[in-house]
Amino acid sequence: MSFRHKSRRTDAEYNGDENRNRGPSRWSNCRKRGADGSMRSNGDSDSTGTSDLKINANHRPVSFTTPESEGPVPRCADWGNEVETDERRSSVRRDMQRYRRRILTADFGPRERKNSSGSSESRDSPVPGEVMEEDEEVLMRRQKQITYGKNTLAYDRYIKEVPKHLRQPGVHPKTPNKFKKYSRRSWDQQIKLWKVKIHAWDPPALEGSELQAIEEVDLDDVMDIELDFPGLDSDSSAQPLKVSKASSSQPDSCQGTPSKMMKIDTSVDLDMA
Amino acid sequence: MENAKEDYKIQSFDLETQKLLKMALKEPNTVDLEKVSNVIVDQSLKDQVFSKEAGRICYTIVQAEAKHNNGNVFRRNLLNRLQLEFVAREETRLRSLQEWVCFVTFICNVFDYLKVNNMPMVALVHPVFDCLLRLAQPDSLNNEEEVDCLVLQLHRIGDQLEKMNGQKMDELFYLLRDGFLLQEGLSSMARLLLLEILEFRAGGWMLSDTAQKYYYSEVTD
Repeated sequence: MSFRHKSRRTDAEYNGDENRNRGPSRWSNCRKRGADGSMRSNGDSDSTGTSDLKINANHRPVSFTTPESEGPVPRCADWGNEVETDERRSSVRRDMQRYRRRILTADFGPRERKNSSGSSESRDSPVPGEVMEEDEEVLMRRQKQITYGKNTLAYDRYIKEVPKHLRQPGVHPKTPNKFKKYSRRSWDQQIKLWKVKIHAWDPPALEGSELQAIEEVDLDDVMDIELDFPGLDSDSSAQPLKVSKASSSQPDSCQGTPSKMMKIDTSVDLDMA
Repeated sequence: MENAKEDYKIQSFDLETQKLLKMALKEPNTVDLEKVSNVIVDQSLKDQVFSKEAGRICYTIVQAEAKHNNGNVFRRNLLNRLQLEFVAREETRLRSLQEWVCFVTFICNVFDYLKVNNMPMVALVHPVFDCLLRLAQPDSLNNEEEVDCLVLQLHRIGDQLEKMNGQKMDELFYLLRDGFLLQEGLSSMARLLLLEILEFRAGGWMLSDTAQKYYYSEVTD
């Protein structure tokens, strides 16, 4: 009888770029099979050696999974993302079960009346018998957009100020229903409009900070710069700048607020110089 | 909040860091959570006592941040830092057995405490198994420190790990049986630890009363 273990590869095999070209990271436990379809053996789940990892004295990586390769970056490049994605997936599945139950019990009362006025705003509440969106990829993407929208100071202030039962339709922003069938464009537009509405609850600009100085700038001077401000016009010079709460700015399917802020900053600096 | 010291075993930190950690528990949005996660990981790699319980304070900070502002900055930083340490583990082991053992203890503790929607983090399953499989290698079995670490983790999270991936657990136990039976030069303590864990798993991740008596009773001369 011999030891059944396989000899460990001790040479520096971990190479972030190499992994990226092949697709998912070797830590993605969602996969039992490799790219060629064969079951993954224990042999290739190891990653020994440190090769490209550069860690400075503060244990901060200079480069981690360096995204400069030519191939597409896998979605689960690091554990932080992978866990967040898994969490989103299990939340979506749980929400699906709840939603299905809601449709089945069909307990809606007077709101069941169809909206036949032909208005552009379609009914967002579940309708019994209606087909619901079940594609997990779509639901995950939509949930991510919703989560980013809710992960803001403005949303926090909004829900504290206006309890759900006191929300007035049209006046108060309502989270789009991810289980309804919408085209991609329609959904993305709904999300954009929803987020803009939430901005009304942005915290006021700080006293004496640069943000206040920016308000005094004549916006005609910066009109050349192309910025995407859905729903805003140039008269809103008094508009306070948005503050996003996450310290690490997260990528956004719509224009991210932090990058908008940065653009204004640089343009103002030129002006004020 | 004075019981925080005892609950989270943060006595080994200097006073300023203890204050930082307490703030992170109470008001996570007022502190630099990336710094907090690094502080916790750094200490876990040095302090064996802390590494065994650090998962708990991590869990509380994650919950606090989620509750306060739906954020997950702390968790994300913690996990990515763990990933770095994982990738460098072979090097760590060569440099310092104690640090390696602390790392394994810590990552298993995090796996134990940090659940996602009440389920263990899938992303950590393979890495944890990789660590345990490494501890089951012949060179590691020769070190009581490493054997001790291995059996401790299996006692704590073996059942959860097996539920997540039974095949990997089988693979690990092939190694443990082989090691117990065939490895020359294994200390009697190491053999005792291995025998106990073999019985423990065979008993459905618990010891029978008689086995408990055999392994854990005081020996009377």
